[in-house]
Amino acid sequence: MTQEAMKPPVEVKYKEELEVLKNTDTGNRPENWLLSPKAVRTFIIGSTQPIVYQDKGYVIQKKYFGNDALIERCIVTLAGNRGLMLVGEPGTAKTMLSELLSAAISGVSTNTIQGTAGTTEDMIKYSWNYALLLAKGPSRQALVPSPLYVGMEKGILTRFEEITRTPAEIQDSLISVLSDKVLNVPELGDDGFLFARPGFNVIGTANTRDKGVNEMSSALKRRFNFETVMPVREVALEKQIILNEVGKLAAESHINMEADEDVAELLAATYHELREGISSYGHRIDKPAAVMSTAEAVSVYYQTMLTGYYYGERRMNVGCLVQNLVGAVSKENKDDLEKVKGYFHTVVKDKSDKEGGLWKQYYEARKWLK
Amino acid sequence: METILRSAEMAEIMLVPVRHHSPACALQLRKVINQWQPSAILVEGPENANHLLPVMVHAETKAPFAIYYAYHDKTKVLSEEQEHFKCYYPFLEYSPELTALREAAKGGIDAAFIDLSYGDILAASTAGKGLRKEEEKNTYNDDYLLSQNTYIEKLLEKTSLRSFDEFWEKFFEIKGLYEETDVWFSHLLTYCKLAREHTPLEILQEEGSLAREAHMAEHILQYAAAQSSEKGIKDFGELQKILVVTGGFHTPALAQHLRVKTGKKTVTSKTKQSSKVPAKNQSVYLMPYSMEAADALNGYASGMPFAGFYQRVWDYCQETQQPYLDNGAYQKAVLDLLVESGKEVRRKEGNLSTYDEICAWQMAQGLMELRSKPQPGAYELLDAALSSYVKGEYNIASDTPIRILRQLMTGEGMGTLCAQADVPPILQDFEAQCKTFRFKIQSTLESEVTLSIFSEKKHRTISSFLHRMVFLNTTFAWRVKGPNLQLKRDRNLIREIWKYKWTTAVPAALIDVSVYGATIEEAVTSLVQKQLKKDISAGEAAKLLTQVFEMNLTGQLEAVYDCVNERILHDTDFYSVADALKYLIMMDELGTLYQTELRFEDLLRRCVQKLITLLPSIIGIKEENLTACMDALKLLYRITNRANMKLAAESELYYETLETMVYGHPMDNTALNGNVPLDKQTDLHTDMRADLHAGLCGCIHGILYGSGREGAANVEFACRGYLTGTKEQLMQTAVFFRGLFYTARDLIFIGGQILELLDTFFGQVDSTEFMELLPQLRMAFAYFTPAETDKIARRAAKLHKSVQKNPQAASSPENSSSAWSKTVGEDILTRNIVLPEWYTYAKALDAYVQGQMEIEI
Repeated sequence: MTQEAMKPPVEVKYKEELEVLKNTDTGNRPENWLLSPKAVRTFIIGSTQPIVYQDKGYVIQKKYFGNDALIERCIVTLAGNRGLMLVGEPGTAKTMLSELLSAAISGVSTNTIQGTAGTTEDMIKYSWNYALLLAKGPSRQALVPSPLYVGMEKGILTRFEEITRTPAEIQDSLISVLSDKVLNVPELGDDGFLFARPGFNVIGTANTRDKGVNEMSSALKRRFNFETVMPVREVALEKQIILNEVGKLAAESHINMEADEDVAELLAATYHELREGISSYGHRIDKPAAVMSTAEAVSVYYQTMLTGYYYGERRMNVGCLVQNLVGAVSKENKDDLEKVKGYFHTVVKDKSDKEGGLWKQYYEARKWLK
Repeated sequence: METILRSAEMAEIMLVPVRHHSPACALQLRKVINQWQPSAILVEGPENANHLLPVMVHAETKAPFAIYYAYHDKTKVLSEEQEHFKCYYPFLEYSPELTALREAAKGGIDAAFIDLSYGDILAASTAGKGLRKEEEKNTYNDDYLLSQNTYIEKLLEKTSLRSFDEFWEKFFEIKGLYEETDVWFSHLLTYCKLAREHTPLEILQEEGSLAREAHMAEHILQYAAAQSSEKGIKDFGELQKILVVTGGFHTPALAQHLRVKTGKKTVTSKTKQSSKVPAKNQSVYLMPYSMEAADALNGYASGMPFAGFYQRVWDYCQETQQPYLDNGAYQKAVLDLLVESGKEVRRKEGNLSTYDEICAWQMAQGLMELRSKPQPGAYELLDAALSSYVKGEYNIASDTPIRILRQLMTGEGMGTLCAQADVPPILQDFEAQCKTFRFKIQSTLESEVTLSIFSEKKHRTISSFLHRMVFLNTTFAWRVKGPNLQLKRDRNLIREIWKYKWTTAVPAALIDVSVYGATIEEAVTSLVQKQLKKDISAGEAAKLLTQVFEMNLTGQLEAVYDCVNERILHDTDFYSVADALKYLIMMDELGTLYQTELRFEDLLRRCVQKLITLLPSIIGIKEENLTACMDALKLLYRITNRANMKLAAESELYYETLETMVYGHPMDNTALNGNVPLDKQTDLHTDMRADLHAGLCGCIHGILYGSGREGAANVEFACRGYLTGTKEQLMQTAVFFRGLFYTARDLIFIGGQILELLDTFFGQVDSTEFMELLPQLRMAFAYFTPAETDKIARRAAKLHKSVQKNPQAASSPENSSSAWSKTVGEDILTRNIVLPEWYTYAKALDAYVQGQMEIEI
């Protein structure tokens, strides 16, 4: 039975694009890869020219905005001997990037270990179906493979999310797998060696806010190439990302409402300025401790849009936007709200005086800052 | 390449576009010269450097070197300011222009520069634009015109490349090793045409490009015209083929100029403009240049970045003689640098394995394929190191490998000039002085001299020479020991110990300042004068005075003295004037030693007066300025009380101002209260201002007490004010004490009131607050000598003995342990037992306070 998913995996969502790329791909493919490195890059950063397939032109959509060189390094790393570790501030699209890479390279983005403080070694390697284990003794049938096991067996990528949330000793169980590409299951005796098939690799993501919680051992660090994903530095790009992401979310939830570009720009500017600590007019601003990522901006925008859709007149309400902003910012620290208030009283006030329009409405909505 | 075909009246002209510092351009250009065999080569470059050509192509001259152009606007052609201008035209081993000149010399072909002279370019540019930009280093190269235009922005977006340099490397530099010369140059010319079309005409006008192009075209025609033997133009005789090497940006314009002119057959036009700028005010020298300075990434150069990387590529390219120049030069250079930087990272950080280097190499190869390049370039090299050498998040703490690699990619070292190179007079002056003083400048070994500057006249002369060299930033000499007037340190020393070392950087630095004068003294003098014209503060002016003092520029002393005087009058910054005062006092004290006839009394008086007028402005200072303020207040107190200074009138004013700061108005001091106990005080000053900083308040009370303007009771009253105030004010007491003890620490021993107040204060704060205050308190008590601290401790202990008798205190849980209760009181000082937990606590406390103090300082 196929059921409609709330958020379909990347390989389903972009099935058509992947199909086109696969059938028109002429580059060399590393063993077991579905696409060549060049096609993987095109899948992620998009194509400027339409790709002709079965007499139809397909333009590959740009899915990741930011550093193209970083994407190229990621792809080359995955074709090599080392794992790929994406590190960066929360909300910098590390997970999205790792999903895109897995979907393009292995055709599957769901082979994932979700790292938490409660992750144990058997979740990383394998565990047992105890009924079968008791009935038949240790055998491959009784073994419950972990995503890592599956990745090695099939020669596909395994994603390890939030690796630094996992205790250090558990993380270290990856070391031998990554260096020797073999997993030993002692219970299976001589048949217990699982040698990784070509195409296997690991993409890890780690949050720099978690630094020091479970610092990775240097032995494990050596098995990875690190890529630092930086927040978007341009307001225009951030606005574009907000519009794209919100558009996708709305389509998934069948919300028939156009995204408002001006509001997106306003929000992008707010997030950008609060994150960088300086406004476009040069005001110095206290930076809130909370995460001011683009992903947060998207969720604030989307919430406001939902409110507008269900309770408003299908219009974005700036007051509602401010309320959602408050909710997003004052999660961790009380002082953050004060900083946002400070931002309104200096930057937004000046912009409302000089630019008027939406900024004026925004400034008037400051009454919700409490 | 643009070829202007031979006509009846003139030679055939070939215009070759190049980019400065591009190895591919140099290689392709060499091929063109060898194939085409021109009879003359004309190169873009100011024509007033033509006489340097033999030295530039001399076998002993090694790049990097630069042509140094200087111009002193004595005749006010450019502006009324009579400014000095200088610029550099750097050459690397692989600069196409240098390659062209060297090939010309090798084949006995005539060569010449054809651009306007430096002074004329300046005259053709708008103030503040092009070569007249206010920058530390201006370079003649104008490659930025190729890389900054709206066209390239679109192009980069489309090719998803990061910068123009990456674009250039991919499409021109690496391809230059594979493509046929004609094809390659035609691609380059197409790009240059597009770049030019997308550059606004105003920029070209402002930067003098249009005037330069017109001049170059004129020049080319004159050379090309067979009958030309006009004055000023070298007569090349009957020329058949002329090769013109210019920056690619100018080639399309030159071609247009030439076509128009040859079409009209006005080849022999005599419209050459006469130079606006007198030649005698211009000077041109060759100077050794460094790789660092030639790297475009260092901010001032505008050629290609990564000079060291491309030098390696060039070196490898020299090894091949094939029709196509590819012999894996880029591959080799990338591998070299990956290994070298890996080795360096291992040496510095010790955590890089050979496997990391293998991974980096694989990354470079993988990126090369993915980016469709035939060989990996500088950007693949950087990406590979970023991916494989940096462990963990990329930030300032983890970017050492990238920094090391960048350094290697920039390269190091300086060029050398052959012995025949002209040296500017300033260098001759330097050599002559070194000879007089018997300095060894034949070797590059470090030597040391000890100078008794106050007893021997000659030593003083040598010292001032060395000080001048320091002032000129020549890196020739540095002082190891001796009085440091700028830092106001070691003033008691009577000897100076200097070290000096001759390197190739010394003549380069001297040539660099040669625009300012023909001798070292002249250069120093003009630089001091230049400094005086700037808007400097009183403190800076006084500092300059100390430098002039050390350099023994007696002629300048007066001018700088006047400048200090003027700046003191205009400066409204308290700290800057206080700084000036410190310098002036020091020089007043040292004046006789340095045998100067300047008298500082007037200046000092003016400075003191100014400071007193500025005093009220410091009422609400910030914490970090407290020390500077207290210093200044104490200094004023010291100097106004000096008998020989005749500043008594100022001292009265000073105290009155201080009183105004504390009480809002000066006090009537006819009846001093002295040490009358507080309850019997009749005339207590009780109307205090609340906005005064607590530390400053303490400091001022100390001074007023010390000068006898108010009694101890007043100080106690002020202190009590803080103690009995709200919590926040209570916390300020520690700062108050710090200020007070800074100026009047003897107060604590008089009467005993202050000690009691301190004790009350400690009683009122809880332990966390106490921890917060500890750094301030520690600073407050730092002003006491050890003997005094002991004395205070004894008195404090006495106070506590009486507390111990209080039954309530004895029964409190903290005092219940027997060891504790026995040792309280005077025994604290004499006890032998130290419990381990006390020790640990004290140690932790000490570490905490030290940490806090460091942060504050």
